[in-house]
Amino acid sequence: MPPSVQNRTDYASRLEHLRRRKEAQTQEKLRRQGYMNEDDYGMVLPPEDFTWQPKPNHPNGSFYGLQGWADNFCNLTECHPVYVDPMDALAGRYMVLLNRMRKCNWPPEFDYPELKSDQDRYGIISGIGNDAHFAPDYEIGLELGWGGLLAKVRQYRAQHGPDKAEFYDAEERVILAVQGWIRRTVEAVEAEAACQADPVLEANLREMAEVNRWLIEGPPRTLREACQWIAWFNMASRTYNRDGAGGQLDELLRPYYQRDRSEGRIDDEDAIFLLACLLLNDPHYYQLGGPAADGHDQTSHLSFLILEAAHRLKSTCNLTIRVHDGLDPRLLRKGVEYLLEDRKAWPRFSGDKALVEGFMRNGYSAELARRRIAVGCNWMALPGLEYTMNDTVKINVAKVLMAAFDEMMHDDNDNPSLDSLWQRFEKHLRQAVLCTARGIDVQLDHQHLNEPELVLNLLTHGPIERGLNVTNGGVDLYNMCVDGAALANVADSLAAIQSRIEEQKRITWQELAECLQADYPGVEGERVRLMMRTAPHYGEGDSLGDRWALRVSELFTWLVTEKPTPGGRRMIPGWFSWADTLRLGKQLGATPDGRRAGQPIAHGANPRPGFRADSAATAMVKAIAAIQPGYGNTAPVQLELDPCIAQCDEAVGIVSRLITTHFELGGTLFNINIVDAQQVLAAHKDPSQYPDLVVRVTGFTAYFANLSPDFRQLVVDRLVRGC
Amino acid sequence: MSTGVITHIQRFSVHDGPGIRTTVFLKGCQMHCPWCHNPETYRRDPEIQVFPQRCIGCRACAAACAQGAHEFTAAGHAYHRNRCVVCGQCVDQCYAQALVRVGETRSAESVVAEVLADRPFYQPEGGVTISGGEPLLQAEFTRDILEQCRQEEIHTAIETNLAWPWPVVEPLVPLVDLFLVDVKIMDDAAHRAWTGLSNRQTLENLRRLDALDKMLVIRTPVVVGVNARPEEIDAIADFLATLDNVAQYELLPYHPLGTGKYDALGLDGPRPEFRTPTAAELDALAEQAKRPNFVVKVAGMVSTST
Ligand code: SF4
Ligand code: SF4
Repeated sequence: MPPSVQNRTDYASRLEHLRRRKEAQTQEKLRRQGYMNEDDYGMVLPPEDFTWQPKPNHPNGSFYGLQGWADNFCNLTECHPVYVDPMDALAGRYMVLLNRMRKCNWPPEFDYPELKSDQDRYGIISGIGNDAHFAPDYEIGLELGWGGLLAKVRQYRAQHGPDKAEFYDAEERVILAVQGWIRRTVEAVEAEAACQADPVLEANLREMAEVNRWLIEGPPRTLREACQWIAWFNMASRTYNRDGAGGQLDELLRPYYQRDRSEGRIDDEDAIFLLACLLLNDPHYYQLGGPAADGHDQTSHLSFLILEAAHRLKSTCNLTIRVHDGLDPRLLRKGVEYLLEDRKAWPRFSGDKALVEGFMRNGYSAELARRRIAVGCNWMALPGLEYTMNDTVKINVAKVLMAAFDEMMHDDNDNPSLDSLWQRFEKHLRQAVLCTARGIDVQLDHQHLNEPELVLNLLTHGPIERGLNVTNGGVDLYNMCVDGAALANVADSLAAIQSRIEEQKRITWQELAECLQADYPGVEGERVRLMMRTAPHYGEGDSLGDRWALRVSELFTWLVTEKPTPGGRRMIPGWFSWADTLRLGKQLGATPDGRRAGQPIAHGANPRPGFRADSAATAMVKAIAAIQPGYGNTAPVQLELDPCIAQCDEAVGIVSRLITTHFELGGTLFNINIVDAQQVLAAHKDPSQYPDLVVRVTGFTAYFANLSPDFRQLVVDRLVRGC
Repeated sequence: MSTGVITHIQRFSVHDGPGIRTTVFLKGCQMHCPWCHNPETYRRDPEIQVFPQRCIGCRACAAACAQGAHEFTAAGHAYHRNRCVVCGQCVDQCYAQALVRVGETRSAESVVAEVLADRPFYQPEGGVTISGGEPLLQAEFTRDILEQCRQEEIHTAIETNLAWPWPVVEPLVPLVDLFLVDVKIMDDAAHRAWTGLSNRQTLENLRRLDALDKMLVIRTPVVVGVNARPEEIDAIADFLATLDNVAQYELLPYHPLGTGKYDALGLDGPRPEFRTPTAAELDALAEQAKRPNFVVKVAGMVSTST
């Protein structure tokens, strides 16, 4: 009997051990680092006595450029603690986010004072100095291995003149550093194997050592090697700059799985365990199913095994099923079954039709559009082909509206009116988009000198061949993301103004302005607030609010797509607020939708919580389908469903119908939490009692207990209706 | 086109028939089951619900009411239901939604328009459910809604107590795909005592619908102290076993959901206290209910008790 088959009986308990260990690690993060309002990146903390610090190469104490990054990455990986768990199929964990250790993430030489006032005024998150947020093509690495990548770097260095030497040196050093990290890990695995008493685990460690020894140079040949290679790339890439993009995992791994199976090396239980270890190593955003470039469905037996692996792992996970007409219906069904059964907020679902048609609107082919897959929080990308700044660039559209409102109210030559407000809103939004566009140019002009993508460049088509960083001509496609935030606040504000001021004349412009200025003071202020709050709003269904949401989204889309940045880069609109709903809300005064100053803005493209008395998911799904910008980026649905949905025996059919109808109506991405409101309320009170409660906060999932109280409140507010 | 009084319309309703549905709740019922968790559907006419915990003390209601039904004294806000003519003026001013008018007069057409809003979600098996209250108290309105939904080829279901003479029920037969019918208690004297009406008509109409091959889902609200006894459920199941078209028999455990609503409606007379059956009690009852010709469900789940 081959050793892997002997292991089988042990897989469930090994997985249980690994899951518990991860939970303990997560609790340790909470203890040592405090709250974490973001992804669970699969990072574990280094030992408490690990005190490595980066070496600055700039008078401001930070480090920049090829040399600075290569030096620090190499230096860090040389002393990075190695991590071996005899229960695990894969070696290694990463423990440091190098990009978070910089004192300042933008060189002062490239400051952009001319943009600052508009950035503040319009609540623009410029993305300048932000890294990663585009997708690597793992196939490059799986084909070449680290040794092949090194040879490729050396080959192109030889072809280019000495002016590119610094770039190739840096790339070469990064590869050597990763190889060194793997080599040190192999030694640790071997040492562990030598003193392992359990024969099954010893065999596992011996195989682990062998796999990793091979991977120092060679490209993966088996499923285990391929999973381990991907894990190493992820660990390197996370360590370097927290990159979190995945790929089409079922297709990436299929050749290895099929070969292993046909040569009798593994069975499905072995494969599931390996895959679970990969998902545990890092909850990356991987896509499953969906069309290949030629349109045929990519669902394979391995797609189901990956779902099964996540199901058995029962941890945070970010798998997305790409729903298209040709999708194997069993994959959708299986995904929904696990969503309902495990209640860990995975998988997510992306809508092929609108994504492909939308991306083609930019002038791209259907073949290319189909290859643009769900590999990030809210985002799609062409693996290895484009630079995007996805999810890093945002405009707080409610701040833009309030700039217009304030300007109108202070203009003595104007009688306030909805028409005047709209015209001014358009003018300010155009100015906000222009400022954002100029920020994107700043990033693209200088980012290679700030923070070259030395790891992601390796799995991108172009940078190594051309000797250019991905941000700086390394690729042909620059499709820059610009997300709007606070759609519901803006739509509801305009609807409330139209209905309460212009139509019903229940309040004057001046009275509203005074209320906003003083944040709806006293009982009368509260009454006005509730009056504005109970006006027709977005999500109700064919309401004034829905019509305003559509109009706002059309305007935003038009302004973002009407022309490229001054530097000639295409911009693609979406609606998404990520975890910035709190931050963007704090910078915003009271708004006419009855939101008080400093309160969070509405979540992504969602209507506000309590948007309908019946909280009808169908109404939300229709509303969000209607406001899609339609250029290939997303405006996701974030839906909370009560577990009682699972009580009807047709629950899988009902949730599937909700998803497919959203996509038929034009939707792009669908995130669902199955959460018990009572449990979340109890966990909000005493998080320590619920260490394994996982919620999808926005595009990402997180352990509820590790979220800060105000973030937990956000999740609670989405569940509990309020006025 | 007829008009009727509804309490509300629930989109994405998943517990009142198959698939994704829109449920229209009509106001008014000829029975008065004291365990009802929708007491706002007892009376046919619109009424005012009061939720004092939402009140912000703005006193706009008092200013709006020509009948002097809202009074503010040192003891707080008093609403005099006996003076109120349910004109809704105060509700319109109460943005805090401490005052809510329950009962809205709507045309059948406007109801159907709202039902159609979710049409894309209904395929393959979802649709509309007319519920209440008791829909047949507004038989013409119910019929008009169902007729239009039929024309739109939307699956139709009705939730009714069927305690009506057959000529009231008969016109619905061609318009309804699925009848969801409550059989609360088999013993007629007990049925009369608890609900105020006999169950004879209900049982008779069920036989007739069955003879016409209409699909039936039968439900029993399981209330401890009323009908949560094996012999009671056994008797109902015996009756159902004589029918050919019972697709499923559902036991719906009583939940004290409606108690706040009783207060809001000023229904403050003596109310019997009921208890929710335990899971073990429900399992035993589900076991008792099993017959070869239908599926037994407890709160929507197929019973797995052995
Ligand atoms: S109008 Fe409403 S909120 Fe104001 S005092 Fe009356 S009941 Fe209270
Ligand atoms: S509904 Fe009319 S009569 Fe009744 S309390 Fe309100 S304003 Fe007065």
